[in-house]
Amino acid sequence: MKVSRLLTWGGLLALAWLARGLVLPVFLAVALAYLLNPAVAWADALAIRRSVAVGTLYAVIISVLVIAGALLGPGLFTEAATLMDRVPTLARQIDAGINSAVRELSEVAPAIRRLLPEGGNWVQRFVLDRSPGEPGDLFEHVGHLFLLMILVPFFAFFMLRDMHRIIALAMNRLPSQHVETSVAVWRELNGVVGRYIRGVVLDGLAVGALAALGLWAVRVPYPLVLGGFAGLANVIPFVGPLLSAAAAGLVVVLTPGQGLAGVGRVVVLFLVIKVLDDTIIQPFTIGRSLHLHPALLLGSVVVGSHALGVLGMIIAVPVATVLQETVRLLVEHRRVLARRDLRQQTITPT
Amino acid sequence: MFERPVPRWLAWATDPEQLRRAPFLARSPLFSGLPRRLLARLATRFFEKDYNPGEVVFEEGDPGRALFVIVEGAIEITRATGQGVYVLNTLGPGDAFGEIALIDDFPRSATARVTTAGKLLILYKSDFDGLMEGNARIAVVVMRNLSRLLALYARNSPVLVTDADPAPRSAGQP
Repeated sequence: MKVSRLLTWGGLLALAWLARGLVLPVFLAVALAYLLNPAVAWADALAIRRSVAVGTLYAVIISVLVIAGALLGPGLFTEAATLMDRVPTLARQIDAGINSAVRELSEVAPAIRRLLPEGGNWVQRFVLDRSPGEPGDLFEHVGHLFLLMILVPFFAFFMLRDMHRIIALAMNRLPSQHVETSVAVWRELNGVVGRYIRGVVLDGLAVGALAALGLWAVRVPYPLVLGGFAGLANVIPFVGPLLSAAAAGLVVVLTPGQGLAGVGRVVVLFLVIKVLDDTIIQPFTIGRSLHLHPALLLGSVVVGSHALGVLGMIIAVPVATVLQETVRLLVEHRRVLARRDLRQQTITPT
Repeated sequence: MFERPVPRWLAWATDPEQLRRAPFLARSPLFSGLPRRLLARLATRFFEKDYNPGEVVFEEGDPGRALFVIVEGAIEITRATGQGVYVLNTLGPGDAFGEIALIDDFPRSATARVTTAGKLLILYKSDFDGLMEGNARIAVVVMRNLSRLLALYARNSPVLVTDADPAPRSAGQP
């Protein structure tokens, strides 16, 4: 019995190891399913069969994406292509700026020269090392991206269509006495994660649109690309807004004729967006789902970054929220059990 | 929409489970008075589970986190006292129980046990709260029905003396 159980667990672990490449697509598919679930629930209320509802929803999304692509695609593509063409020049310019700063600093404090030798070309090396040098690398990156674009909606489709059946199956397998508490805990966590994912996406869309409009208004080049980046980076608390402001500031610094006044405008713009996001947008989007203390929020982002890099920074907040909610529910459960014990003591004759 | 028959050409696109569930809930005293649209939304929040005879749905003192509606089968509600276990009620299809869990987080005041195999619809408090937050109408109607049920329970319950030997009140004491 023990050997067969060990073999089963060993087999499952080996299978999980072989399927580790599916972690990212499955994670993204779960996020997409959470995002689209309210629309499917709305169709449920109209007694529309799930496969029909999800299929129609996909058709609508594809149509919207095609129309958005036709409207925004050419501008976005031109901006991205121009920016990519300028990357080596931009990297050279940044390196020149760093070299000049190091030279000036080393005149004041010569020890700095040992730490930061002049002519290190840090940015150029970083950019050139990261860019896909060989055509094979390029095909691999495009292939991965293409696979994600196919797998994520594919998995999300089946999650949306069949999740209620899987839940029903699991509930019928659970011992009846544990169904109420265990499924209730799962429902609460499910609600928190769902609201958080939908909130983050809405928040990112709002921040991205505000940033793109604002950058276009203050005449910063590449407003669509920088706005899109601001929306995506907004998923990472604290670090994201700083990164998007830094990217826009860098573009302004390297654009002739913008000067320090341009940097000032970008800083003010991103401060205004941050204040608007914290006071008006987030209370309507993420507000109700996130009750993490700022210190826990920052700590979870740092731990996530150390454990899984950028993906870790993105999933840190929902994971920390789920852990906090689990602890809260366990404490609540213990409190209720303590009340039961007290009640049983009062009704039991002594 | 579920009271009107679905046109035959649309039958392939409809979910028979939802078509069955919403009118069933409309007959429950807890949800009576809810408009069709809201009832259909409420119906999507329920989970369904099969139960066998003898299975305990919840036990007295368990944390209450859900409401149950009987689709098929029968449920016996019992309460333990110092003198033994008393059967408070036996419920059948259409009846709801455990509704107090929707308004407080106190432990269950009775035990629910399956006497005839059947199916239960389960509505979790978090799902109900989520629905109420976006729909004041659901909150008003369900809470009004719940108040009526509680008033009925209170009228039908005997008055319990909790203190067998109360201290004599002095004059002027409330």
